[in-house]
Order: sequence, then C-alpha cells, then structure tokens
Amino acid sequence: MESMKTYIRKELWSPYVAGAVLGIVGVLAVWLSDSLLGASGAFENLAGILGKAAAPEVFDTMYFNFIMPAEITWGVALLFGIILGGFFGALTSRTFKFRTMDDDQWKKVFGPQLWKRWILLFVGAIILEYGAGIAGGCTSGLAISGGMLLAPAAFLFIGAMFMSGILTTLVIYRRSY
Amino acid sequence: MTNYLLPLILGAAFGFSLNKAGLTRYAKIVNVFRFTDLAVLKFMMTALVVAMTGLYVLRGLGWITFPNVPATYVAGNLIGGLIFGVGMALAGFCPGTCAAGSGEGKLDYLIPGMLGFLTGAVLFGLTYQQVFPLVSKIANYGNVVLPDLWNLNPYLVVLLFGLIAVLLFYLIDRAGMFRKKA
Repeated sequence: MESMKTYIRKELWSPYVAGAVLGIVGVLAVWLSDSLLGASGAFENLAGILGKAAAPEVFDTMYFNFIMPAEITWGVALLFGIILGGFFGALTSRTFKFRTMDDDQWKKVFGPQLWKRWILLFVGAIILEYGAGIAGGCTSGLAISGGMLLAPAAFLFIGAMFMSGILTTLVIYRRSY
Repeated sequence: MTNYLLPLILGAAFGFSLNKAGLTRYAKIVNVFRFTDLAVLKFMMTALVVAMTGLYVLRGLGWITFPNVPATYVAGNLIGGLIFGVGMALAGFCPGTCAAGSGEGKLDYLIPGMLGFLTGAVLFGLTYQQVFPLVSKIANYGNVVLPDLWNLNPYLVVLLFGLIAVLLFYLIDRAGMFRKKA
C-alpha cells in the first residue's frame, strides 16, 4: 500500500504502466458509455459553440449543425476531464505550477524567445487539428480508439503520422538529428 | 449534469495517464521521431494491446457491442496523418496531450495551444464541404475492422498484435535497438 502511494506520487511512470491505464480507460469508455476516447472532435464542438455566438450565419452549416454539432457533447466533457487529469497528475507529483518555456530541448532548438514558441505552437496546433479533421480523428480518437478496435484507418494514420513526423524532425534538427 | 460525470472521470484518468507517461512534454513527443526516447511508442502500444484484448474478449462474451468504428478511407486517413505528423513534430503535442499539459499549468499549452486547436477546428469546419467529400471518397471501406475486412479470426489478430508488441518492446528494451544519444 505504501509503495503504491509512493508510485502514484512519482513524476514519471513506466510508459507500460501508464499505457495500461489508458487501455483500461479505453475499454471502460466503450463498456460504460458506448463511446470512444478522443480529443480533436471536442475542439470542433467548442469551435461551433464559439462561432455560433460570434457569427451565427457563418456557422449555420451542415457541419456545425449535424456532423460536429455546436454543443457540450460527451467528448467535450471528456476534454475537460483530460485537463483535470493533467492537473491531478501534477498535484500528486507536486509539479503543478503556472509556467512558460519549461523545456530545455525546445530552447536549444528554437531559442529562448517566448513569442517564437507561442507562434510555433499556435501554428502547430492549427496544422494538427486540420490534419485530424481530414484523417477522421487524432492520436486518441483515431490511433488509440480506432487501433483498439483494429480499424485499418488507425494503422494507416499511425504510419503516415510517424513518416511525416520523422521527416519534419529531420528538417528541424538537421545535423543534430 | 450526470451524463457529464462519467466522461469527466474517464477523461481525468486519461489525462492522468498522459501526465504520468510524460507525454505532456515537448521532448518526449519529438524524441520518438528521433528514435532517442521511445516512451510514446511503448505507451501507445501497451494501451492498444490492453484495450483490444479487453474489447474483443468482452464482445466475445456478449457483454458489449462495438460503437461506431472510425471509418477507413485510405487517401484521407493517410493525408490527414501526414499533415498531423508535421504539426506534432513542430509543436511537440497533440490535442490530448495539450489539454493534459494545460492542466499541469503549462501556459504555452493553455493559451497558444488551445487557441490554435480552436482556430484549426474553425478552419476545418468551414472548409469541410469543399474538402472532406473529396478525400473521403477515395478507397472508402466504411466503418470496418481488419478481421472482418480480411476474414480473419479476431482473437488470432489480437494475439498476433500482442506478440508483435512484445517483440518490439523486447528489441527496444533489451537489445537497445535505438540510439542512446539524447
């Protein structure tokens, strides 16, 4: 019992243990909620809610009305849960802190300027969300949730993601790859 | 409100696992593409093996039915994956890990990260009609799973996947089949 408490407080777990936890959560989501884990879809629902508030005519589309309806869906609640989970995790290891620029490797590659990091993360997030939209899901909604059902889509996505991820890293890191 | 309780709890467990696996860090994500730290791969493969075993066994017992299986449309899955990989290697997060990292207090994730996902979602939603029908038309197999598509015994596929994963873990951990340079 004591050793379990110590383990929970550890900042980093074995990826096998953490991965098994995610696997169990994936099963429970299907079993208890008949739903699949995901994250990128929730951003679509939220974007619809915000968009309809700001410019109702522009967002009065089939997509934001029916395909990804502008509502607080199961997935949106899950997304808020993910944020909470990160918070709890950081609490157990006493690493919660509002902070910026906390990655040394990033500083080595891109430099210490905060504005540069914020622009690149903003652009990166746009690329990620658009790619997830085309593919039909992200790392959780397609790779994990599709893969655990043995959907071919998931393995096509994972293969393509690793291929372009490796190429992009090669370009960014060049000689220090 | 009670409908939201379960996804909130499940999401919290999900985010907790991302935090503990260290996937909320730029270096962890990017270094899997450099083959210097394969934690992401171990995490994903373990989750897949555990979940697919559980799901196929529970379905075999008749306790669950599968929800809407993510659709396979070869060109779109591949093109989307290629775009996604660029963003992931650049930013060092994906939608889920950005959310979990925001909860840890990372303002870089909470502000430009979350705003970026929302902006990307607006862009995709507003161009959906022009883009999606085109890419999803090519080689569309619908909501299919591999064992049905290839007419294989599902338990055999799950077992084979598990064995491949274990072999991969063995090669990674014991034989040191990746570069040690940080």
